[in-house]
Amino acid sequence: MTAAHVADIPSRELDVAAPVRRSADHQAAVECRGLVKTYGPVRALDNVDLAIRPNEFFTLLGPSGCGKTTLLRSIAGFSTQDSGSISVHGQRLDGLPAYRRPVNTVFQSYAVFPHMSVARNIAFGLEMSGHPKDKVAARVREMLALVRLEGMEARMPAQLSGGQQQRVAFARALAPGPRVLLLDEPLSALDQKLRTGMQLELKRLQRDVGITFVFVTHDQHEALTMSDRIAVMSGGRILQIGSPEEIYERPTARFVADFIGETNLVEAEKIGPGRYRIASGIELDAADGGAVGQTVTLVIRPERTVLEGRDGGLLPGSVDQVVYEGTDTTYHVVLQQGDRFRVCEQNRTGARPRFSRGDAVSIALPRDAIRVLSA
Amino acid sequence: MRPQAQRVSLLLPALLTIGLLFIVPLGFMAFVSTLQRGADGGVIWTRHSIDAYVQFLFERDLADNLVINTDYIRIFLRSIGLAAITAVSTLVLAVPTALWMAFQPPSRRTLLLFIVTVPFWTNLLVRNYSWVLMLRNGGVVDWVLIGLHLRTESLDLLYTPLATGIGLVYSFLPYMILPIYVSMEKIDRRYIEAAFDLGANRIRAMQRIILPLAMPGITGGLILVFVPCLGAFISPELLGGAKSMMIGSLIQQQFGQSRNWPFGSALAFVLLGLILIALWLHALRYRRAGKVAS
Repeated sequence: MTAAHVADIPSRELDVAAPVRRSADHQAAVECRGLVKTYGPVRALDNVDLAIRPNEFFTLLGPSGCGKTTLLRSIAGFSTQDSGSISVHGQRLDGLPAYRRPVNTVFQSYAVFPHMSVARNIAFGLEMSGHPKDKVAARVREMLALVRLEGMEARMPAQLSGGQQQRVAFARALAPGPRVLLLDEPLSALDQKLRTGMQLELKRLQRDVGITFVFVTHDQHEALTMSDRIAVMSGGRILQIGSPEEIYERPTARFVADFIGETNLVEAEKIGPGRYRIASGIELDAADGGAVGQTVTLVIRPERTVLEGRDGGLLPGSVDQVVYEGTDTTYHVVLQQGDRFRVCEQNRTGARPRFSRGDAVSIALPRDAIRVLSA
Repeated sequence: MRPQAQRVSLLLPALLTIGLLFIVPLGFMAFVSTLQRGADGGVIWTRHSIDAYVQFLFERDLADNLVINTDYIRIFLRSIGLAAITAVSTLVLAVPTALWMAFQPPSRRTLLLFIVTVPFWTNLLVRNYSWVLMLRNGGVVDWVLIGLHLRTESLDLLYTPLATGIGLVYSFLPYMILPIYVSMEKIDRRYIEAAFDLGANRIRAMQRIILPLAMPGITGGLILVFVPCLGAFISPELLGGAKSMMIGSLIQQQFGQSRNWPFGSALAFVLLGLILIALWLHALRYRRAGKVAS
């Protein structure tokens, strides 16, 4: 299935979707303004503002309970916000029931109808919007080809593997031709190997179909691999929105730095332009941030630092643990003040780890390995 | 041989239960149905006869010829009809009730389940007598209707097939609600959300998702109501009067006033046979449906 072939799939032919197609292209695919949702004392959504661009793979990332699923369910119409508004391609969705919204959802653990064949599942949305039989059949064939399930149309869900059920769920949600597809942790029920395959597959689907994907996950690796942009959420708020590189390289909040990837967080005092002093009294250079005299947090990625012998680096310490991880080896180093510091090295040559437990070492910190958070 | 002995000893309680409580009494009644009746009730243990089964279809006219007698078949048909109407009526009442219960918060569901099962803790006879008080001339129903000036005279409800129907529906409603509730409660809420998400409104979601997934509960409820209803005794006896006799009363009569034990047993076995055939047909259809699905 080529991109050109799929691109001319008509958008969902619902009356409510009609004004959407006339709207300008620069309009946000999904726009949320001042969304608030409380469950008793808990603020699941705390004044969320968000604009998702057309045709982007947008990920809501955060730990469980951060509000990402509530946000997705509010867009789908399964949860009603206390205040604020949601628009899809300029159309206000507030107050519309789920079945009249121009979005479709891929559910966590699939929710493929167990009493219908693969073809009946995929046809469901089209039948609900009253398409003629021959059109439905043609569209079902198209969808089966898109998700590579040709020849499986008569199978019942119980006869499918997890990955195949997942594909049926995608095909079913894409069949009505939504302009925005919502995905609620769709890969979390798959095993690791299958998940990696489906990540690439999903990315391909999104490119082929050319619509906006709003993807919810708590898996930062998944978010980094697949997304055009990521919104990191915590406590019902969006902490940072940016490309995977921005989120990883230039986190603007301590939570984001800590949640995405492995991180060493070191408290330091700013003592001059680009000059910082950490607790042990050691001074080091990094990019400028904050005011002189202020306490800042230094964010140091383990793979950007280098482990040297006793005198080669800046921070002295001793190796406490060596964790061999196949592609990498992570050294857990105890610094002189008792702080722990992680250093990650790629296993390039297949040689044994360079240091072992108890070795006296020092950590070299290149200037560009350090990101300064003034907050 | 030790494992063999162990297996037998472990099976023994179950075999004894089935044997003593099920096979022995049923076998005894089957035996009775093939005996000749005694002059003053009971049976003559040494004389065999198929009179009881002949009597179901034929009677002897004055010239001692066998002619077809449809009286008993009519009673059977009436019972089957009333049982079917009861099953459908309880279904119509139970589906919305079970649906509503299944979508309550879990804590309230427990309370509602308790309320549905409360009648089980009260004697069925007492509950049917209370319907006598409600339906009889000048009873609660009349009193309310006349009090509201909706009617000027009694409805004469008691001792009609309608009264029997009301009593049966009332008695068997919990047997319909419970299995349907159980199957609806098990339905994954995400299926319903997925249906909404794909553009189905509430009615379509009901037709296409909830009812098909609740089908095991619905067929279970239909069997649980229809089968015991065929042989129901208390409601027809108390509320239906003499004009609309049903199988249960007929069988009871054979062991009571008529003193015809073999015929009573034969009637019970004809009923059992009909029920087994119906269940077998159902199982056959179910298995074929299963084959198509797989």
